[in-house]
Amino acid sequence: MGKKQEIEISRREFARRAAMISATASLAPANLWGAEVTGPAAQAQQPPTPPKLSPESQTEADSRLRVILNEYGSRFSEAQKTDLRRLCSEAQPGLDRLRAYATGNGDEPALYLRPLMEREKKPSPMPAAAKPAVAPKKP
Amino acid sequence: MPGEELFYLSVSELAKRIESKKLSPVDLTQVYLDRSQKLGPRFNAYARLTPETALEQAKAAEKEIQRGHYRGPLHGIPYAAKDLLAVKGVPTTWGAKPYASQIFDYNATVIEHLNRVGAVMIGKASMIELAGGMGYRFASASLQGEAKNPWDTTCWTCGSSSGSGAIVAAGLAAFAIGTETWGSIICPSAFCGASGLRPTYGRVSRYGAMALAPSMDKIGPLARSTEDCARIFAAIAGHDPKDRSTLPIDRAAFTYSPSIELRSRPLKLGWLTNAWKSLDPSIAKPVDAAARVLKKFFPNVKNTVLPVGPWEDAGGIIVAVEAAASFRSLIRSGKVSELSDPLGQIAGYVNEQYSAADYLQALKVREILQKKMEELFDSFDVLITASQPVPATPLDLNLETGLVFPDPLGAIGNLCGLPALSVPCGFTEKNLPAGLQFIARAGDDIAVLQAARTFQQHTDWHKRHPKLH
Repeated sequence: MGKKQEIEISRREFARRAAMISATASLAPANLWGAEVTGPAAQAQQPPTPPKLSPESQTEADSRLRVILNEYGSRFSEAQKTDLRRLCSEAQPGLDRLRAYATGNGDEPALYLRPLMEREKKPSPMPAAAKPAVAPKKP
Repeated sequence: MPGEELFYLSVSELAKRIESKKLSPVDLTQVYLDRSQKLGPRFNAYARLTPETALEQAKAAEKEIQRGHYRGPLHGIPYAAKDLLAVKGVPTTWGAKPYASQIFDYNATVIEHLNRVGAVMIGKASMIELAGGMGYRFASASLQGEAKNPWDTTCWTCGSSSGSGAIVAAGLAAFAIGTETWGSIICPSAFCGASGLRPTYGRVSRYGAMALAPSMDKIGPLARSTEDCARIFAAIAGHDPKDRSTLPIDRAAFTYSPSIELRSRPLKLGWLTNAWKSLDPSIAKPVDAAARVLKKFFPNVKNTVLPVGPWEDAGGIIVAVEAAASFRSLIRSGKVSELSDPLGQIAGYVNEQYSAADYLQALKVREILQKKMEELFDSFDVLITASQPVPATPLDLNLETGLVFPDPLGAIGNLCGLPALSVPCGFTEKNLPAGLQFIARAGDDIAVLQAARTFQQHTDWHKRHPKLH
């Protein structure tokens, strides 16, 4: 794989992650692949190239964008809509890879439910069974 | 004005002086406050200082110590807490404009634990807005602006515990508390030359901490040494009925004493050869030198590899979906537009769209990955690699259009809740810190502490600090 291709893949990868990943080192090393970074203006606003998607994946990405715009469209500027279109497309390759990873019916998801134990419950508003159903009223 | 070296003493060294009454907690707190007031703004390190409560706590500590009631190594030690930890009566902004006036009427469990051991909170550390929960494009995505790296103020400290990294590196407090969902303790530690511990998921209660991705959020210390991390971890670890993800009492608690080395076990170390696609040459050099040091003291270091799979994709979906749920009202109300970062203003809308089936597929992949890592840890106690493949990045870098690298280890470590510790292992030619990362099986935090402590006993990188004027 050539350097140029690596850079392009990395850019797409980052854009996908930046949209989806939180609390993270959103790193953008200037020199890792020997790329020249000449300053803020040069770095500024070259939008990452959107990934090439299969027709099915493109349809899914488009439909994701449509749902967002149907629900919230009036909130966005034209520039934000363009950005959203890109983010929807960039989310797709990760989803495709994840879905392609073989899992079986018997593979459990890493869900972990801890049943709420008696001692952790908040006091019940109902009277306990051992107590009289109706407390005598004070005069 | 006290000598510069005082500000860079380790917790262990400060504790000795405090216990022997050679150093007053009130004086120590005051000089750290003065320094923080003077230098904090230079690095955008703090969300706010809390001088009044700090001095109250310091006076109480001093009184107790004078009376002979010494609580232990954190008693009277000043620290900063990331501004996503609730502190009663003090604004807790989560680094974000929509929460700028938020005040809780209770303390996070971590703060309670630190109060109990007599530590002195001198301020809230700045951070990336919502810890990056909605994505961010620029280092400036914070109410306080970009956190500047004390080693080079044209560079970033890394996020999201950005202020915590700056505070430790600039000697503004003896330690800081950070959080990590994916990279936010390890990366600032590496960029700032700090020692930072990301504990096993579930050992430190998140009660009172901003929830981002509840199945991945963790809290840990950034400090001057592995030993300090161990002491702080011992104070904050433990089961908490208020955070039902915490481990049972016997598995959550951690005890540390310097004599721990006497009980140490021979560790099998694995040097990861595929954690990074490549290292920047300026990082490769110190990391290679660190490897040689390790091989001297752990003769059986062997090369090994991480399992290959869509771990980053799974981690990305899990964080995206959980973050969208955590900040659902912010997104739905449209107040997300008040975030400062252009990406943060819109990415949440995309994150809301992932299906439950895709989320569950990611959780299935997570379960498979956990088993694969268990197998790897049958052969190795501790895995080692560079903390980051590059040194601190320029402040004004556009994170979206700049370059990036795959981070399978970040995904694996955080998906599986593995403990990790980053320690400084050298410097680049431009005098920026390089970090070395130790990772162990979930629950085996002691192994990363033991390995990293051994490294620090034979190196002095953690004792270096930037020259500040």
